[in-house]
Amino acid sequence: MVRTKEDLNQSIKKMNRINAASNTPTAVGTQETTEQQKLQHQLQIFQNSLPKVSQTAYMLLLNECVPLSMAVEKKRGDRALNLVGNGDDEVSQTEGKLEGVHLSPPLDPPSNQLCRELYEADEEKHNRVLDRLRNIGFEIGNKVTELLVFSNNPNLHFKDMDLLSVMKFICRDVWRQMFNKQVDNLKTNHRGTFYLFDYDYKPIQTFALDSESSAKELQMVKPFLEITVGVIKGVLASIGHAPENVVCLASYVDRPEEKPRSSFTKGVSFHVQVTM
Amino acid sequence: MAIYSFWIFDKHCNCIFDREWTLISNSASGTMNSKQTEETAKLLYGMIYSLRSVTKKLSRDDSTNEVRSISIGKYRIHTYCTASGLWFVLLSDYKQSSYAHVLRYIHSHIYVKYVTHNILSPYDFAENENETRGRGFRKISNRNFISALESFLGPMIAQ
Repeated sequence: MVRTKEDLNQSIKKMNRINAASNTPTAVGTQETTEQQKLQHQLQIFQNSLPKVSQTAYMLLLNECVPLSMAVEKKRGDRALNLVGNGDDEVSQTEGKLEGVHLSPPLDPPSNQLCRELYEADEEKHNRVLDRLRNIGFEIGNKVTELLVFSNNPNLHFKDMDLLSVMKFICRDVWRQMFNKQVDNLKTNHRGTFYLFDYDYKPIQTFALDSESSAKELQMVKPFLEITVGVIKGVLASIGHAPENVVCLASYVDRPEEKPRSSFTKGVSFHVQVTM
Repeated sequence: MAIYSFWIFDKHCNCIFDREWTLISNSASGTMNSKQTEETAKLLYGMIYSLRSVTKKLSRDDSTNEVRSISIGKYRIHTYCTASGLWFVLLSDYKQSSYAHVLRYIHSHIYVKYVTHNILSPYDFAENENETRGRGFRKISNRNFISALESFLGPMIAQ
């Protein structure tokens, strides 16, 4: 995923210290520039050694989870219907099996069509798709903690962390790893209820339908928030707050006046409730 | 430097976006995705298509030989073709010889950002076989795309 400037700055500082220790403190004048160059060179090597991935590809993949879940749910539904329909007919069943074994299976419908189908699906199916998405997010969340704690920041001790610090960890580190930014605002009542406000939630920024259908648009974009709901639950679960003790809901909020206008009309708020 | 109209064609020979300005003084005037310009779109497509095939045949080696602009008695047509078969076409007067950078910007910063990255919008504007080969009717009607394009091209209409 994405490393940010601050990570790099920290590493520069570290390297500075190492350099200061290893070199004799007589470096002056002309050597100063070469020192600078050496540092820059080291930074270059360090940056090249970091695992990198295209941000565009990552975002597309993350968003593609929604049509994927819909397609899986749809295929499952079709399979169930087929089994019910052909239960007593041996011949058609084997035919169905043969048809299932395609060398090049037919492509799923395009993502925009799947999103529309998800919007039009009945409530039960809709909920099943959302559950699927939350599960994907949950798995991601579990792994993200692992990654952040053991590869980036071995100094974090969750044992003596209270819930607020854990939420701060989500707002700062998890968000930065996933969306390359921090949560804009965190509110709490100090009794286990937290509101995480993100006024320009990255994955949905360029989503829009035609000019007139804005309520429909908000409804269609809603499933894209569920992955992050799952991520929050997954992170909390990996730190020791069991998923059944955590309630997490996503909703839209208005953007405050001083925030610059961006292409999506609403900000997003994640409401997290933890029972201790 | 004034621009008169802007068109996008897809790989199925369909016009997927058109915008025509009628009053030079007013950047909001004119038509967008209108039924009346259908015929014009077909003629424009046909002209560029035939000139492209002519230039392809006239190229000396196998390297690609693209039409960049076509100058006619009254105006100039600028084209920008992508590898995926999208054509961006801009009609302008004679004052500026190349709009290649403008068309490239529209493709990379407006089309890709607001149409390709928008999962709610189709990326192929022909939904079935019957809509290919110039028989499609679907247009880009995406709110962000239109507003970004208007604000980018608006200042160029009467310069």
